[in-house]
Amino acid sequence: MAFVKKEITPARPAPLSERSVIGWMHKHLFSSFYNSILTIVTMYIIYITTKGLWVWGIADAVWIAESRRECFDISIDGACWAGVIAWMDNIFYGRYPKDELWRVNVGILLLIVWMLPLWLPRVKGKIFIAITLISFYPFLANYIFLGGESSFFSQFMVSAAIVSFVVIMLNAIIGVIQGQSISTFIATRLGSSLKSEKSQRNLNIALLIMAFIIAFLWQQSWVLGEVPWTKWGGLFLTLVISGIGIATALPSGIILALGRRSKLPVIKVLSTTFIEVFRSVPLITVLFMATTMFPLFLPEGFVLNKLAQVIIAVCLFNAAYMAETVRGGLQTIPKGQYEGAHTIGLGYWGTMGLIVMPQALKNMIPNIVGNFISILKGTTLVSIIGLFDILGMLSSVSRDLSWIGLHKEPLLFGAMIFFILCALMSKYSRHLEAKLSTNRKT
Amino acid sequence: MNSNTPMDNNAAEEKLVSAASSEVIINIEKVNKWYDDFHVLKDIDLVVKKGERIVVCGPSGSGKSTLIRCINNLEEHQEGSIVVDGITLNKNLKNIDHIRTEVGMVFQNFNLFPHLSILDNLMLGPIWVRKMPKAEARATALEYLERVKIPEQADKFPGQLSGGQQQRVAIARSLCMNPKIMLFDEPTSALDPEMIKEVLDVMIELADTGMTMIVVTHEMNFAKTIADRVIFMDEGDIVEENEPLQFFNNPQHDRTKLFLSQIL
Repeated sequence: MAFVKKEITPARPAPLSERSVIGWMHKHLFSSFYNSILTIVTMYIIYITTKGLWVWGIADAVWIAESRRECFDISIDGACWAGVIAWMDNIFYGRYPKDELWRVNVGILLLIVWMLPLWLPRVKGKIFIAITLISFYPFLANYIFLGGESSFFSQFMVSAAIVSFVVIMLNAIIGVIQGQSISTFIATRLGSSLKSEKSQRNLNIALLIMAFIIAFLWQQSWVLGEVPWTKWGGLFLTLVISGIGIATALPSGIILALGRRSKLPVIKVLSTTFIEVFRSVPLITVLFMATTMFPLFLPEGFVLNKLAQVIIAVCLFNAAYMAETVRGGLQTIPKGQYEGAHTIGLGYWGTMGLIVMPQALKNMIPNIVGNFISILKGTTLVSIIGLFDILGMLSSVSRDLSWIGLHKEPLLFGAMIFFILCALMSKYSRHLEAKLSTNRKT
Repeated sequence: MNSNTPMDNNAAEEKLVSAASSEVIINIEKVNKWYDDFHVLKDIDLVVKKGERIVVCGPSGSGKSTLIRCINNLEEHQEGSIVVDGITLNKNLKNIDHIRTEVGMVFQNFNLFPHLSILDNLMLGPIWVRKMPKAEARATALEYLERVKIPEQADKFPGQLSGGQQQRVAIARSLCMNPKIMLFDEPTSALDPEMIKEVLDVMIELADTGMTMIVVTHEMNFAKTIADRVIFMDEGDIVEENEPLQFFNNPQHDRTKLFLSQIL
């Protein structure tokens, strides 16, 4: 019974049910009598729910009114969005002075523009962008948001931030147009590219110092009125707290996770204790403890404002959670990867930084972003200890005399803001996963 | 598979000329190792000369992998001394790191870095450990990919390659560090039969260049072709040690006879 295949079977296109809309609907929605009934019933339920929401939220809603009473006079059943609109500035910026709102916008815009080159593939020197962002931007933002008298150190850091921002922008523009970094661009323009690397480095340093002096003199002419942190609020405050929490959670989580896996007993015990203590206490408790107990630990006369206490508490709490996420990621890396790295002579930091962490973090992207999302949402707890973050502001609407009792609309609006922010993060995480996983088909 | 074919007498004629010199490169003395209470290596003595090619065989659990993993300190030994290229292996991390740069190792499961391209896998060690300029590291990497006959795969990722190709990349990765000694821990055991030959061919070529090699393998024909010495281990002991022709034709110890009768 010998059988020898004469020719290769040609590939055929998939059947119609896999390719057309009607085929898809037939297969997934109306495959049998009962499934068809189920589909129709479900669609009806969806219809009546959305219809109710539509009529209340859009069709019968009131957009322009002076008070809640006026809303009722116009439409008794509709939503009163006028209240939300009247409070819009407060929801976004808290009690930040109206004339100074541009400062918040500029600060946030600067952050976005600063990060933008990270996503442009032709731009070089992304590590420089990230490092300057972490080390200088906070000081610049702090000055813009807070204003008032600033110390020499703060002025120094602000100048450094200005210089790095300008360098990054020029570098990004040159990168997009020429596909090279700013230093090679300058070197080739001056015709000194043939000279040694050292002279090129000296030139760069000289240019940087010059730019720094100009920036330092320029920023001394800035006059920004002080806006104390007690005036900060709304979405702005939420973003400040959660932004710092997110930015510090990953690096400190990595350090704690490595500490917990360390072979050195002292480091191991300290990291483990820290992680377990903070993980076993609710965030709200940590916040209360931070605001009431931090002052006891601080040296006499050293007063830390409540916002700073809250931010430190949020950072510590989330570092502990992130540490466990990162540790989970580290455990997915097989022992062979460590051995492979060791055999080419990499030490502990080389193995971790070049081989293990990149893979562990990549495996953990969904969990890490999940953590970020929960940091953003968890920040709303600060409204309980008396900071007027977005949730505090949303619930204040109902206590405003003109809008008294208006609960639903502001909270729904807040829910939409959170949904948009979280959906964006989660969407980006999936994009990142897909982008990084194309590199690997195992 | 090579190991299934009966032993043939041509092996001696095909055998490569030994490159072994009188210079000692690895000196293992009275090494003992335990996993908890289990005594894996018992009073192991082994001297390897520069350019010598040694094949280590034995049943699973005999300690052969552990022995070669002790040479670059992937496993720590508890007693005895191991001196590699004049450097004593001890707790000193500097010594360990130095020895690891001189000793290349190839694993059963390749252990390539899946998040890096083939070229980056090869360039990583030279750039970060040897501090070689990028362009030079790249040239070296391409040269070794050429030598293991897969230059066209340079920009792919390990997951896109066949097992045999991955193992050849792993060999090239070790060679990029320009090691003095190469250790092979069952390099063909995880491969499909069709791919074993391509890896063995690369190893034979490597032996031809005079590299000091210690190979843990069950490929007996390969042992006959390249080995200067075959070492048979069982239960943590070196039971028998001889040149390949004698070892295969005239085994002395009962345990060796039993082992050979089962695999040949």
